[in-house]
Amino acid sequence: MFSSFHWQIIEEYLPLFIEGTWMTLKAAVICVIAGTLLGLVLGVGRLAEARHGFYKYFLRYAVQLPVRFYVSFFRGTPLFVQILLIHFALMPLLINPSGGLIVSGDLAREIRSQYGAFLSAVLAISLNSGAYVSEIFRAGIQSIDRGQSEASRSLGMNYLQTLRKVVLPQAFRRMLPPLGNNAIAIVKDSSLASAIGLAELAYAARTVSGAYARYWEPYLTISLIYWGITLLLSAFVEHLEKRYGKGDAR
Amino acid sequence: MSFKKFALLASSVLAFALPAVAVHAADQTYVVGAGGTYRPFEFETAKKELVGFDIDIIKAVSKASGFNIKLVSTPWEGIFATVNQGDRDILISGITITDKRKEMVDFSLPYFPADQVIIVGDGPKVTGLADLKKLQVGVVNSSTGDIVVSEEIGKNNVAIHRFDNTPLMLEELYRGGVDAAVGDVGVIKFYIKSHPEKKFKVVGDNKFTRQYFGMAVQKGNKVLLDKINAGLKKIVADGTYAKIYKEWFDDNVPTLPLQ
Repeated sequence: MFSSFHWQIIEEYLPLFIEGTWMTLKAAVICVIAGTLLGLVLGVGRLAEARHGFYKYFLRYAVQLPVRFYVSFFRGTPLFVQILLIHFALMPLLINPSGGLIVSGDLAREIRSQYGAFLSAVLAISLNSGAYVSEIFRAGIQSIDRGQSEASRSLGMNYLQTLRKVVLPQAFRRMLPPLGNNAIAIVKDSSLASAIGLAELAYAARTVSGAYARYWEPYLTISLIYWGITLLLSAFVEHLEKRYGKGDAR
Repeated sequence: MSFKKFALLASSVLAFALPAVAVHAADQTYVVGAGGTYRPFEFETAKKELVGFDIDIIKAVSKASGFNIKLVSTPWEGIFATVNQGDRDILISGITITDKRKEMVDFSLPYFPADQVIIVGDGPKVTGLADLKKLQVGVVNSSTGDIVVSEEIGKNNVAIHRFDNTPLMLEELYRGGVDAAVGDVGVIKFYIKSHPEKKFKVVGDNKFTRQYFGMAVQKGNKVLLDKINAGLKKIVADGTYAKIYKEWFDDNVPTLPLQ
């Protein structure tokens, strides 16, 4: 079977595949970092509460509620739809040569033209991932025994200090597997950006299959490349788990 | 069973079967694939019916040639595979006849003269294909525009933005994601006419050679190809083609090379 494969069509388009791999890696790294940071903020916000006083209602309605709404929206709508929405509807509002809310004029034209698809894809995937990661953080934080935060409060630490110095470091070890999962999902979700013309890995395969009407060679190739990237990622997460898990008896 | 009863049973079965066979042979139905995103050649109405110039042509051809058709909306990506795998019998979807595509499928006689054009906004100065070298260019993936632009600025050039369909490509052009786009003159002129506020203009180039749209069938399907060609010749001869052309475009009905 493999002898009838026309591998030369991959060779012909090799620069596109290399460029595509690089673009996928760039997008994935940025989205993982941005998504994790966003998820941390949202996860903590989701759990923010106070027993008495002004902050009781402020935190519940001005912090928790918006976070819940955000998470519900970004988990409840397809990422593909979010990418198209952000690229064709949101970004033109923000970055527009004639009156964009954030950038206008020639700079806007330059950005739209050179980096438009990249920015839209990264924004969409980061926002989407932030929603999922926030739930990971919430679960991780809630899984730490109440006694830990009670003890640290009685030692005089306030809410944020407890979180930063006692709860999160312990929760981190527990959150590593699902965070690793999320990172792998981001690498693969980046393939959706090929629909808005971003020259990443799936785009290269679609170009080749479009030009030659052959499907085994390009799609098998990118499957192997995606698999290779996620294998490396999983190995890295395993390494992190070993390093940070030294405190756990398990 | 006695012979008499058997003969009676057999002949009554045949009496039902033979007319059915005869009817089936005369009413051969072919599945026609057409994309739904290529105004004015084919597009879907609000009721999800396929309409357009191509649709009218295939309906006329099938009527003239004596076969039935079933229209099925087919996305452009992977469309040639659908005839070769038997999911569709005929394809009519603004498909330009090219040598590379002739290796994948068989084409009917041409039914529409197609030219590629460049569409630009009022920003960059473009007078021809060569000016595209420094710009971001949008095309539909594996379309004739894609082929032409890839030849001009390199098929591995990431300045080429390939999209799934023409509306997405044109939207990207409107939003400034690309500086120029290349596509079929029929579709682009129709788009410019329906969006006068967007101030686009059309630029030609000598390198754009005259090409034609054709209907595609599975490689080797000579029987169906002959039926289609016969139907096409008939509707050109009796004026149906001219009527359909005038309805969708203008009065300059082209002469098709129907040898």
